[in-house]
Amino acid sequence: MPENDTIQDLDLDEYKYGFVTEGKPVFRAEKGLSEEVVRQISAHKDEPVWMLDFRLKALAVYNSKPMPTWGGDLSDLERVLDEIYFYVRPQDRMERSWDDVPDEIKETFEKLGIPEAERKSLAGVGAQYESEMVYHSLREEWSKQGVIFDSIEDGLKNHPELFREHFATVIPTGDNKFAAMNSAVWSGGSFVYIPKGVSLSTPLQAYFRVNQERMGQFERTLIIVDEGANAHYIEGCTAPVYSTESFHSGVIEIIVKKNARFRYTTIQNWSNNMYNLVTQRATVAEGGHMEWLDGNLGSKLTMKYPSCYLMGEGAHGEILSIAYAGDGQHQDTGGKVVHVAPHTTSSIVSKSISKGTGRSTYRGLCKVHEGAHHARSNVECDALLINDTSRTDTYPYIEIEENDANVGHEASVSKIGEEQLFYLTSRGIAGDEAMAMIVRGFIEPIAKELPLEYAVELNRLIELEMEGSVG
Amino acid sequence: MASATEVVEGVTGAISSDAVERISADEPKWLAERRAHAWSVYEATPMPTTKLEQWRYTDLRKMLDLDSLRLPEAAPAPDDRAAWPERLRAALDADPEASGHIVVIDGLVVHADVDAALAKQGVILTSLHEAVGRHGALLEEHLATEAVPAEEGKFAALNAALWADGVFLHVPKGVRLETPVRVTRWLTESGAAYLSRVLIVAERESRVSYVDEVLSDDFAEQTFTSTAVEVVARDGAQVQYVAVQRLGRGAFYQSVQRTLAGRDAKLDTLNVALGASVSRIDLNARLLGPGSNSDMLGLYFGDGSQHFDFNTSQDHVSPNTASDLLYKGALDGSSHGVFRGIIRVHPGAQKTDAYQTNRNLLLSPHARADSLPNLEIEADDVKCSHGATVGELDAEAKFYLMSRGLDRVQAERLVVMGFLGEVLARLPLGGVVEKVTRVIEEKLAHHG
Repeated sequence: MPENDTIQDLDLDEYKYGFVTEGKPVFRAEKGLSEEVVRQISAHKDEPVWMLDFRLKALAVYNSKPMPTWGGDLSDLERVLDEIYFYVRPQDRMERSWDDVPDEIKETFEKLGIPEAERKSLAGVGAQYESEMVYHSLREEWSKQGVIFDSIEDGLKNHPELFREHFATVIPTGDNKFAAMNSAVWSGGSFVYIPKGVSLSTPLQAYFRVNQERMGQFERTLIIVDEGANAHYIEGCTAPVYSTESFHSGVIEIIVKKNARFRYTTIQNWSNNMYNLVTQRATVAEGGHMEWLDGNLGSKLTMKYPSCYLMGEGAHGEILSIAYAGDGQHQDTGGKVVHVAPHTTSSIVSKSISKGTGRSTYRGLCKVHEGAHHARSNVECDALLINDTSRTDTYPYIEIEENDANVGHEASVSKIGEEQLFYLTSRGIAGDEAMAMIVRGFIEPIAKELPLEYAVELNRLIELEMEGSVG
Repeated sequence: MASATEVVEGVTGAISSDAVERISADEPKWLAERRAHAWSVYEATPMPTTKLEQWRYTDLRKMLDLDSLRLPEAAPAPDDRAAWPERLRAALDADPEASGHIVVIDGLVVHADVDAALAKQGVILTSLHEAVGRHGALLEEHLATEAVPAEEGKFAALNAALWADGVFLHVPKGVRLETPVRVTRWLTESGAAYLSRVLIVAERESRVSYVDEVLSDDFAEQTFTSTAVEVVARDGAQVQYVAVQRLGRGAFYQSVQRTLAGRDAKLDTLNVALGASVSRIDLNARLLGPGSNSDMLGLYFGDGSQHFDFNTSQDHVSPNTASDLLYKGALDGSSHGVFRGIIRVHPGAQKTDAYQTNRNLLLSPHARADSLPNLEIEADDVKCSHGATVGELDAEAKFYLMSRGLDRVQAERLVVMGFLGEVLARLPLGGVVEKVTRVIEEKLAHHG
């Protein structure tokens, strides 16, 4: 298909979060990762000794683990990591009132539409800028009921016992090299506690913004959903477009207790020079219900596989994953479900679109341990290829140790059907619009689950990206 | 990659450069050189570990003891039916018509015959060892070169260095064999390492079916058998390759197979794995010519502590190619089935149709199945899909049969046979269906 120059220009303009905000951080650690940097982070946060010890041990684990050889191309990463700042402190304290946030940071988030979003009836909003949460607020009706929605640092300070009981229990330091890295240098992220039986009627939302060049962001989020509680958490990520690579490696731990329900939505729209290596995992107790809705649109390389460990009888896990890989992007995403207890159920639905030289990879695990009888799991992956230079891969792992279980995996790869296109264009719909329509139809099962503003955003992205793709 | 401690993995008292020299002493120069090259590749290749994706679920450190193996020393058995073991004769008797036969006892070809009319048309069916002298040019062109060269991996290198004998089948242009070529192998020597090769070259517009059955009693010590299988189908040729493995316990069965399909060639394979303690098959189908097509079928039934590992790949190199893989297995006892398959659609291989299905039936609470159906797609105008399932017996089907008066065991057997029968129905070669059905029925008789 012939490429269209004006559309190429459009593609470049399309990333509307690429602006930079001027402003001087109050502290910035030396480049690269060292014990010194880890100690500085801990000192800045005025942490208890156990946390410093935890960080230092994690650093040793990080150093002892080799760089993964699977997944995306990490051959350049060591060089990138030597050049990035692991800790940048934009301001000295976190604000509870939007008016108190420094102007330049406020301006950034206003451009991203955060205050507007907050007015739109969210239960709570958090915002992270560089390495620290700069703003956190929670509606009074929820704080009165004992809901905690705070920065991770304040979680550690104000709720030390609850924090320590659960921290690093879902994702231990040694889980993987980047979880170890995060454990050493984590900064920012949310601490959430939903008390027994409390059901939040609107979502909690957190925004992550990397502004500086050569910045590494390592947020750490710990969410505890107590028995019978119900909540939804949304995170969004953006960064300016620099010529050098940036790095984001979060660790998200979620504990879903008995009969609780939780949904975690990520819409990652990092700039296309970001390495995004994230570990997200939930444990789900008896009768609990966990959903990951994972949208990966940005970044240079994302490696992220949200997981549900179904630990209690009747627990349910669900992963909805959507990936878009444009020119030069590699989305290596998917999900993992591990059935440990009987009568547990899970489903993974993954949809990906590869365009230009983009590559999307589904990588997933479905494991049924012996004894998890009556486990049921279904995995469906569909990939759409737009150009002959695009690539898609599917790497599911299915490990079944229990005979009284039913597990299925299905994947299909296709190109937009010429018949479909012909049908639409013969009805007077322009080629680009027809293409966009088909792509929208393809991702609809997942897009309909997105919060409205993200669904609108996704539709807009598809329209822009599909322009010029029909020759 | 020189390390301080120069331990070369896999080199033992028996498996050594001396052995390579001994075996190539009377061979032509090209072959001696090819073996020496393969040996150097073998030495330079580390033993696969579970850190390698393709060996993730088969731990050779626990499953294979190369040190204890020796190369077979027995003199060739006579070409005399009466002197052959009873089970071997029974297997031969159970075969219907054939275009030719090869009988291999303890790694050496002891008998070869081919239909006189076909021989007149130039069909060659012979021991590989003999072919070295009589069909040197063909062998030099094809043996361990384009299909399974030493570089393929540790075992391919070992095989290319130390193969003792094997089968050479050459079908000239336009010649069509109406009945299969049948190869029957029998192994007796416990603790031996048998290395053998199969080379099939089907010239343009020719047609042939090849059935290779290997069987033995149980072995007291671990016994290793390695087969490198090279199948070349030239433009428009039609080839069916079938391997039936019915070895006794104690056997480690390892087979590296590659099929090369030319323009409009049809190259189908069926691997049936029923016996041995450990069975590992690496099968790569390469769709090289436009319009080529491969059906890839597999069937396995595990019980006791049997371990089956299938590593398949479908390489679509040219446009308008098609492949369809179906591997089905039933696993009883504490047996373990591993399927790892990959469809690779190479850049430019437009209009590819590629399918891959792996289905597993777990018949016991201690059985285990791992399934990894992978896709790597680098062309956009393709139809590809894959599916994998692991599940228990279809309770409804069982209930239906029991409601018609069958007891539980009978009903389960029927359901399992129905499940596995789908594979045989896709490549229903005479003799194969009956034998495989009988072995599965025997295995099912133990399933209570």
